[in-house]
Amino acid sequence: MDATTVIAVISCAIVLAGWLVLPSKMTTVKPVVVSEERKPVSVSA
Amino acid sequence: MKIDSGDTAWVLASAALVMLMTPALGFFYGGLVRRKNVLSTIMHSFFILCLISVQWVLWGYSLAFGPDKFHLIGGLEWIGLNNVGFTPNADYAPTIPHQAYMVFQMMFAVITPALISGAFAERQRFKAFVLFSLLWATFVYDPIAHWVWGAGGWLHNLGALDFAGGTVVHISSGVSALVAALVLGRRLGFGKEKVEPHDATMTILGACLLWFGWFGFNAGSAVTAGSLATSAFVVTNTATAMAALTWMTVSWWHKRQPSVLGAAAGAVAGLVAITPASGYVNVMGAIVIGFGAGVVCYAAIQLRERIHVDDALDVWAVHGIGGTWGALATGLFATVAINSSAANGLFYGNPKQVLIQLAAIGAAWGWAAVGTFVILKVVNLFVPLRVQEEEELLGLDISQHGEPAYAL
Repeated sequence: MDATTVIAVISCAIVLAGWLVLPSKMTTVKPVVVSEERKPVSVSA
Repeated sequence: MKIDSGDTAWVLASAALVMLMTPALGFFYGGLVRRKNVLSTIMHSFFILCLISVQWVLWGYSLAFGPDKFHLIGGLEWIGLNNVGFTPNADYAPTIPHQAYMVFQMMFAVITPALISGAFAERQRFKAFVLFSLLWATFVYDPIAHWVWGAGGWLHNLGALDFAGGTVVHISSGVSALVAALVLGRRLGFGKEKVEPHDATMTILGACLLWFGWFGFNAGSAVTAGSLATSAFVVTNTATAMAALTWMTVSWWHKRQPSVLGAAAGAVAGLVAITPASGYVNVMGAIVIGFGAGVVCYAAIQLRERIHVDDALDVWAVHGIGGTWGALATGLFATVAINSSAANGLFYGNPKQVLIQLAAIGAAWGWAAVGTFVILKVVNLFVPLRVQEEEELLGLDISQHGEPAYAL
């Protein structure tokens, strides 16, 4: 195995290990209020 | 020299793939800006496609690839495509019509100034943008392209490796973007109000189209339809995927959530970084280059934010730093097992290649920075670079083009 392959394997291992330890919790966000009524918009050419 | 129909078909198809990247860039950038500036941002890319297409056939190709003058610039012998016909040119592509090579290179010249437009998005006056782009293509892009790719160019003679444009396209545009952001100054409200991308889906679509087009960019640069093009195709896809995975993981660690836009930006960083190396490295080298791109480009964005530079769409971090990493990594991981006409890198017993790559990186950084600064100052003598405050607040779609993007 050459040096390039060793570094490539280590790189992949770092990324994979990251996924195991990183959080997977929901973040609460403010609900976006969307008005049912929309005003017509006139666009002049 | 005999024209090979397979090679010709591949290069023409690749030219079309690379052409698609410029409007794709418009969508990538367009989704990242606010709704009042999306049309003007897309227009930057679309307009440059038209502008440089004409500039390239009139004088750009001759300056970049024409008969060498002092190892610095091409001569004017090929102006207006004079002497650029259908007979292959042995220096550049001996199995395809010379005009096929010319039009393939045209698409590189088109996308490079379009990349810079992300730095001054949401505030540059359109007329200033037009003048800047034309001058930049002529006095920055064309000379650097000649140094690296032109027959007789000094970096070409030195042995610098740049398969598809790490220095010519990405360092030049990324460094110029940084200079442009500094010269134009920050957008109104920068750092005080949050500027959210107005359409993340548009950006993802743009990133996917860029990825698709990049196969022409890199694999097409083999200018033959064979094993080298195949290798470039494979390593391009591999590095891109690895960079997207890495960026997403780093941002997940940093911001506590896996960002979708981060994955898209990471993919673009990977595409940038593998560009100079795509004809010289194997698939393991591509994985390392993709990993490195995800880390260093993400870190560059954090640095850019910390020093409060308003490079609006992070052109410097992704293209300048990504291109620099890719050019350096080419000097580390290049191997003649992939491309026998090139050279080995440090990891294959040739440390000198790293020094050559550093010389090319330094030259591209220096010329792009100085050239861009001078051009912006010259343009500013005739046309103000920035729109007025009220125009910026109104948005460039209305103030510069008189058209809204959406009628909602």
